[in-house]
Amino acid sequence: MIDERMEEQAALHVLGALTPAESAEFSRTLAANPELQRYVARLGAAAAAVAGNVPRRTPPPQLRARILAQVAPPKVVSLPQRRFRPSFWLPWSLAAGLAVLCIVLNVQEAQLRLTILGQSRRISDLQQLADSLSSTTNDLQRAVLALQQNNRLANLKIAMLNSLLTEAPRTVAVSLWDESRQEGVFVAANLKTLPPDRDYQLWVLDNGTTPVDAGVFHVNENGGSRVEFKTKQPIKVAGRFAVTEEVKGGVVSPTIKNMVLASN
Amino acid sequence: MSGGAQTHFVPFAPFGGAAPAGQYLFLTKPVNEQEAKDRDIELLRQIAAGDRSAFAEFYDRHATLMFSIASKILNDSAEAEDVLQVVFLQIWETAGKFDPAVGKASSWAAILVRNKAIDRVRASQRRSRLAEESGVEQAIAAEDPESANETLYGHDKARLIQSVVGELPTDQRRAIELAYFSGLTQDEISKKLNEPLGTIKARIRRGLLKLRDQLEGVL
Repeated sequence: MIDERMEEQAALHVLGALTPAESAEFSRTLAANPELQRYVARLGAAAAAVAGNVPRRTPPPQLRARILAQVAPPKVVSLPQRRFRPSFWLPWSLAAGLAVLCIVLNVQEAQLRLTILGQSRRISDLQQLADSLSSTTNDLQRAVLALQQNNRLANLKIAMLNSLLTEAPRTVAVSLWDESRQEGVFVAANLKTLPPDRDYQLWVLDNGTTPVDAGVFHVNENGGSRVEFKTKQPIKVAGRFAVTEEVKGGVVSPTIKNMVLASN
Repeated sequence: MSGGAQTHFVPFAPFGGAAPAGQYLFLTKPVNEQEAKDRDIELLRQIAAGDRSAFAEFYDRHATLMFSIASKILNDSAEAEDVLQVVFLQIWETAGKFDPAVGKASSWAAILVRNKAIDRVRASQRRSRLAEESGVEQAIAAEDPESANETLYGHDKARLIQSVVGELPTDQRRAIELAYFSGLTQDEISKKLNEPLGTIKARIRRGLLKLRDQLEGVL
């Protein structure tokens, strides 16, 4: 049962006309009285109807956007905000990262320039080598032709000799050996010219290990040479070939440290 | 339950007193009241769980009423916007505390914005136009044919509420308006109107009971 005094308090409560102390006391009573709650609910609707009786004023559209922008579900939005919030160090870290990247790119660019330059030189050298080999190939073709004419191709041993000198990488030679006739043809290109007291000496390594003297030879003004040779001793198996720089006239045993060319 | 339009009859009291026998106002409800109430409760529950879309819908349903109340109390649109912003953030943070047993969500929202606007007025030591002698009368003069209630209840019901409020005895209506819009306490109203405190309490009580009874089934 709600008495008249409580009805007055309820009316003042829904209008907000109670003092703070009165409001606190009434709220305590309200919380413990379901009947009073229902009464206040109906009276509050009447008070709200009075409040809504004022002239209608529509809030500006931007207010809605402003309010919605200010609310964010704490469980969903706040965590990414914390995660992606830019720290004090982030700009400096980015700047440092960019600086390092620039340095690395500059170094790489310089290295690439050097590589390109080196490759250009290498291409030029290879072009020259190709020219030389073309000439050598012509000589070899002539030699092969001659051997074919003599029907000796079946017993022919052909070996490519490569330069062992870092300062003369383009030096190259080919050796053809006819085992049945115990004679061969040697063609070289890009050998340096030796002083008058020095000779190139060709060696046939019997069974690949025992060097057998195949004679000395000279190069022309272009560093080229073509000689037909025979060994001082019979060759069972011409495994490998080599060229050494020796004193004029040649030596009995090759000077290993002066080896210029060798086949595999 | 259908959410479509629903027709019902409400005793109509034209300007001047009680409703003549057999005279009724033909009302078309824009929405079902119980569904609207249930929807508000559901929205507040979702808001409490952090649902921004529910918050946006709640704003759309009640912002006009709340802004109208704030504007009337503060008589300043910019301040009314500030208050509305503060109150909606308050709703966002305290939606879980709303108790449907003690009132409708619209009543709760209205009292929240009323209290915040009154706080603003008290803080600035100003009083709204309605706090003045003439202001109260203007508040209920209803010069604007459209009230904030139209947003919440539709045109016909808003007009009915307007007429019922307008038919309150002037002393009761004035005491109620002063309490709600000016933020005066019962003692302050008593002094302002130069009436005994008991008289003010009785006027307010009787006026609200009359509104409640005449708007029963409408609100």
